[in-house]
Amino acid sequence: MILRLAFRNIVGNGYRSLINVLILAIVLIIMVWMQAMYHSWTRLALIQQTDWEYGKGLLRSKLYDPYDSYTWEDSAVREPEQLKSAIQGGDLVPILISPASIYPKGRMMPAVLRGIPHDQDVLRLPVSGLKAQGKDIIPVLIGQNMAQSSRLEKGDIFSIRIKDSSGVFNALDAEVSDVIHIPAASADMSSVWLDLEALREVKASESLVTYFVMGDARYADHEYENFRHIPKSEYFADFYKMLATERVQQVITYALLIFLAMIAVFDTQALAVFKRRKEIGTLASLGLTKGKISLLFTLEGIYYLLFAAIAGAILGFPLFWYFAQYGFQIPKGYEDFGIQGFTEPIYFVYPMGEIIGLYLLVLCFTALFSWLPTRKITKLSPVDALRGKVD
Amino acid sequence: MKESIVKIRNMGKAFPTGEGDFWALQNINLDFERGEFSGIVGPSGSGKTTLLNIIGSLDKPSLGDVEVLGQKIQTLNQKKSSILRAKHIGFIFQTYNLLPVYNVYENVEFPLLLLKMDAAKRERMVKDAIEWVGLTDKIKSRPNQLSGGQCQRVAIARAMVKKPDLVLADEPTANLDSENSYKILDTMLKLSEDLGTTFIFSTHDQKVISYLKRIIKLTDGEVSSDDTQTGV
Repeated sequence: MILRLAFRNIVGNGYRSLINVLILAIVLIIMVWMQAMYHSWTRLALIQQTDWEYGKGLLRSKLYDPYDSYTWEDSAVREPEQLKSAIQGGDLVPILISPASIYPKGRMMPAVLRGIPHDQDVLRLPVSGLKAQGKDIIPVLIGQNMAQSSRLEKGDIFSIRIKDSSGVFNALDAEVSDVIHIPAASADMSSVWLDLEALREVKASESLVTYFVMGDARYADHEYENFRHIPKSEYFADFYKMLATERVQQVITYALLIFLAMIAVFDTQALAVFKRRKEIGTLASLGLTKGKISLLFTLEGIYYLLFAAIAGAILGFPLFWYFAQYGFQIPKGYEDFGIQGFTEPIYFVYPMGEIIGLYLLVLCFTALFSWLPTRKITKLSPVDALRGKVD
Repeated sequence: MKESIVKIRNMGKAFPTGEGDFWALQNINLDFERGEFSGIVGPSGSGKTTLLNIIGSLDKPSLGDVEVLGQKIQTLNQKKSSILRAKHIGFIFQTYNLLPVYNVYENVEFPLLLLKMDAAKRERMVKDAIEWVGLTDKIKSRPNQLSGGQCQRVAIARAMVKKPDLVLADEPTANLDSENSYKILDTMLKLSEDLGTTFIFSTHDQKVISYLKRIIKLTDGEVSSDDTQTGV
């Protein structure tokens, strides 16, 4: 009965209801869009980093600190004997890192050489082209970002100066065998990928390795001399920190949006309680308790949200579909910032659990802000209400 | 002797004002019997509506006792007052006070929904009530599609549909022309006789007064006369 009356009142309220529903629907659309963007970006970034750099886990040399380039030169250690068979079987991909200077087109710039077996298939890097062809020139692979900063193109030949394990500088010529799109920015920026054996030869450091990428997660469970397992939580710690910052911004935006929507709901409800005093008095005279009359007004507010959810789904569908189908194109220039997940269009995936959670949150606020003005009803005498008396 | 369903003893009602209390009703002693068709008359401000509101448990007396259907109004809490109104009392207002978003059927049905009656019985009672007031052809109409007289007839049907013991009608003809006033008065009188419902009017309309079997005159908040009319 109260549900039906609340529904009729909302429908009968005409444009005022429509405006409220539209405001709430717009807020819901923006919130769903933001939530999907955040979720899809996170998801994409994690997939990209996993596919292109992390694999099923990392075993890092204990001497290697990715944040301190001065450690890189001496951080490579010998492959543990116990892992030889896993390496040969392709379950572990050894990667050797070495700082170097490169001389593209006569300029000098610092770079990081990354040696990787040309037959690995754990990471998505297309490294088969790195196999030495018997020439003195070593084929290398670079990402688009590196190509842009070094102005190197496919087929360009440039020199590399590198210190070997005994501290002597060596030089070699390299040819860019391909310039590829590497979505994981950290595997692209300043990086020159080449065959592991070629790098070891130049560095005169047979069987040295900086870290292993695991193709099988079972290697995470054991202790290895000079190597330690890097769990996902540690590897993605910076990313998660960035997400936490984003989360704060997101919460502030949500709070502002909800606040604006709640102003509309509160205003409508307060006005309704004020304007519909006679109706309140009539309902009381018919035998409705004040609690039920308050409930009626609160339900009207909740109906706004239910209508808004439907309107939001209808109005927002083309938008939601477009971003799921064609993705959100990161504005030009953002890919240079090295932000994970910002290197290719973000195809929206809609996290239904989170979206339902958001709806419930807005529902709670709507119920609260619909109820607040109705507290006046409990203080209003039915006689004053029937008279339409104004406080 | 008929059963007394409203007993008022030494009742007074005061409203606070800036200069102390204003006594809208004083020394009221009245009884209303089942099936009575009576009215409280008097000029504006004489306390008619206040008395009706107290009898209808919409308000409480400041002094004295008011007993309606065995329940003391001054001691009823908000919930019990609501139950008393929902089950036993019907109201008819000067401005009809229909729910604008509901049609005739739904407006009349509303009091029965509060009584949680089963659907079939409810439908039969609603249709009967609408038939009593002659609005069967307007069953789907909304209040804004009806004339004032028709709206008041819907209000009567809404008040009568649950067959209450008591109907309180506050200036029910004030917004109606003579023809409609007589029509609804005829309807109410007939329903009172057929169903044994007690009607208490608050009015200063001579047309209504001419229908009343008992006239209680209020002057400055006190009963100045209480007369029974014969040959109405």
